[in-house]
Amino acid sequence: MGLRLLVMKFGGSCLTDGDSILRAAELVRDAFNRGDGIVAVVSAMKGVTDRLLNMVEGSLRGEDVREEIESLRADHVEATRRAVGDVEVRGEVERIVTTTISELERVLTAIGYLEEVTPRSRDYILSFGERLSTPILWGAIRSQGLKASWMTGGEAGIVTDSNFGEARPLMENTRLRVEAKLKPLLEKGIIPVVTGFIGEDLDRVVTTLGRGGSDYTATLIGEVLGADEIYLWTDVEGLMTADPRIVPEARIIEEISFEEAVEMAVFGAKRMHPRALVPAMRAGIPVVIKSLRRPEVRGTRITGEVKIGEGVVKAVTLVRGVGLLNVQGLRMIGMPGVAGRVCQLLGRKGINIFMISQSVSEANISLMISKDRLYQAESLIENALLGTGLISDVYVEEDVCVVAVVGAGMRGTPGVAARVFKAVASRGINVRMIAQGSSELNISFVVKEEDGEEAVRAIHQEFNLSGKT
Amino acid sequence: MGFGVVGRALARLLLEEGERLAKRRGFRPIVVGVADSLGAAYDEGGLDMLEVLGAKERYGTVSKSSSGVRGMTGLELLGTVYADVVVEVTPTNLGDGEPGLTHIREALKSGMSVVTSNKGPLALAMPALMELARHRGAVLRFSGTVGGGTPVLDYGRRLSAGDYIEGVEGILNGTTNYILTRMTEGLEFQEALREAQERGYAERDPSMDLEGLDSACKLVIMANYVLGLKATLRDVEVKGIGGVTREEVAEAYHRDYAVKLVASIREDKLKVEPREVPRRSPLCVWGVLNAVTFKCRRLGEQTVVGRGAGGVETALSIIRDLAEVKRNLSGSLGGWA
Repeated sequence: MGLRLLVMKFGGSCLTDGDSILRAAELVRDAFNRGDGIVAVVSAMKGVTDRLLNMVEGSLRGEDVREEIESLRADHVEATRRAVGDVEVRGEVERIVTTTISELERVLTAIGYLEEVTPRSRDYILSFGERLSTPILWGAIRSQGLKASWMTGGEAGIVTDSNFGEARPLMENTRLRVEAKLKPLLEKGIIPVVTGFIGEDLDRVVTTLGRGGSDYTATLIGEVLGADEIYLWTDVEGLMTADPRIVPEARIIEEISFEEAVEMAVFGAKRMHPRALVPAMRAGIPVVIKSLRRPEVRGTRITGEVKIGEGVVKAVTLVRGVGLLNVQGLRMIGMPGVAGRVCQLLGRKGINIFMISQSVSEANISLMISKDRLYQAESLIENALLGTGLISDVYVEEDVCVVAVVGAGMRGTPGVAARVFKAVASRGINVRMIAQGSSELNISFVVKEEDGEEAVRAIHQEFNLSGKT
Repeated sequence: MGFGVVGRALARLLLEEGERLAKRRGFRPIVVGVADSLGAAYDEGGLDMLEVLGAKERYGTVSKSSSGVRGMTGLELLGTVYADVVVEVTPTNLGDGEPGLTHIREALKSGMSVVTSNKGPLALAMPALMELARHRGAVLRFSGTVGGGTPVLDYGRRLSAGDYIEGVEGILNGTTNYILTRMTEGLEFQEALREAQERGYAERDPSMDLEGLDSACKLVIMANYVLGLKATLRDVEVKGIGGVTREEVAEAYHRDYAVKLVASIREDKLKVEPREVPRRSPLCVWGVLNAVTFKCRRLGEQTVVGRGAGGVETALSIIRDLAEVKRNLSGSLGGWA
């Protein structure tokens, strides 16, 4: 094993074709040749997970999806030809791809017959994306003259509960198994190439860790093995001060703390798994986000240190696809437990509350939830509480969005909120609801959907996030 | 699982005390299966334990009893009969923890609670096993692994629930303490060891005790259960009593100290080593006694002294654990805890 241990995760967004997989293999080779121990974690190739989902839907409707399967096969065979130079290794990889594809075909056929897909079989089908891409990188790495071994996340030792679609790792069992499996390989100078996104439950059934789960795989393995750094290779050059489609002068943040990055992940800056940073944070392992296309760019380094020097605000993001649920009633005043009751009702139906605010008068509670559950939530509260005399009205607002301002420097710096809201007000934008956690890491507020982008630009400029003097 | 000294002591205890337990505590454990290294016996309605004990004594295996199956493994037994609780008392194995580790893991995986006195699986994989139990809603109890019949673990756990425990020091192994005691009285190491073996305090292969591994296992269990650390055997720095001489022991004694094999946790570091302990310290116990001192931030030092493990002591701790499991089960069923 080399002096340092790196986990390198290659995201689906940057694995577009055989050439990109070849580039990934070259990066692994270069790091290995510098003397580092490497674990590679691989996502499905770009768009493949969505294609698999479409195939599931198609099969359910009784459609013939053989053409889609064939094009999936062709894409992966083509990628293999570009990425794997060594003829013998290439043959080996092609055989794996072919076998995997025919297995996929069988499962999809079965779904077509049953006209039913369980969360369990959906997870199984979704796992094929990674099971196709990973052997190709494995072959490409071996073609570079290195020793490597490929395996699924479950085989690598990631054990989860059986909550299909959003499985949670059983951390201690995972620790035990991953160590036992990967350490001996690393000691022999073999590079483990592991599928991201996939785990298995205690009965060895395939589970998935949820959207963006490959990041999670990488940080889990990093924590367990005590890695020195975790690289998340992707199609962007790092975390940005704002979405460049909204703010053209947005720039890359070079250093950011875990706490800040978690806030940004929650608010959808990069499509990162919200829990993905937790293992790295726990173990204090720096996470570096870099572009596979332009590896020379420094990217964003997420560490345990909080650097405030750069200014109080680090980034401003816009969250769409949310709605506001308002619960009103004078009778709620001085009645303990109403907010608890509301949250409990939503929680029981698995409806997540992003933001919550209540006036001190207690006559009004506003909840920010995902737009697609908004009306369900409304009728839930209506059925349970309207008519009890406790509340007088429940109504939703759909045309809203959340602006989140993130930065550890806001903590203990008076006047940041004033600057934020003054900047927004100066553009004539009305703020509907405000929430600031006591961590003071972020200020989030709700505005009309049509005002969202302008609010982001106003704040970006107010805090000079583009760094122009 | 396992029908050695502890398993049989438990069976006898249940026969002798069964009625009293049922009457006074509403607790009526029924043995539905027993496995030893040669086979198993099972009956879902409850085994005739008198007969099973007889078969074990006469033929050396429970599989010779009327409900016995020759060659059936513990794992097969687990898959065959349903039980609320699995009692795992196979011998400790510090290499890979087997067969105990698999027994415990499989039982917990299928939602059965586990009571064990087997230190191997816990020392090697305690955080993972606790997680498994939590995940499946089962109970894992092991109070007999440390301090034998004396409930040291739960004492420490109660302490740490209120106060903060800053450190632990313990004499956790009766065999080595007996040997060191006899060395203080003038015996050479080899003589003391032989005597301990003759009196049945030391095993024929005493290496686990002498090398400090037994103490290390107990320390790991304490670190997890009492202090909430996530430690395994690999995290312990271990030194046995092999290098201790009679002269050293005598010399320390003259300075009012005693050489003891001390297991300690300080600043989350786990250590087992022969060390001098002031003779006036409550920790300084003699013979086969065990002692543990919990150093609490506010309550100060709390020391528990007790007889180390023997068959009956451990069997008692298992009954204690079974009662605890029952309390948990009836609690989750809405009964009165």
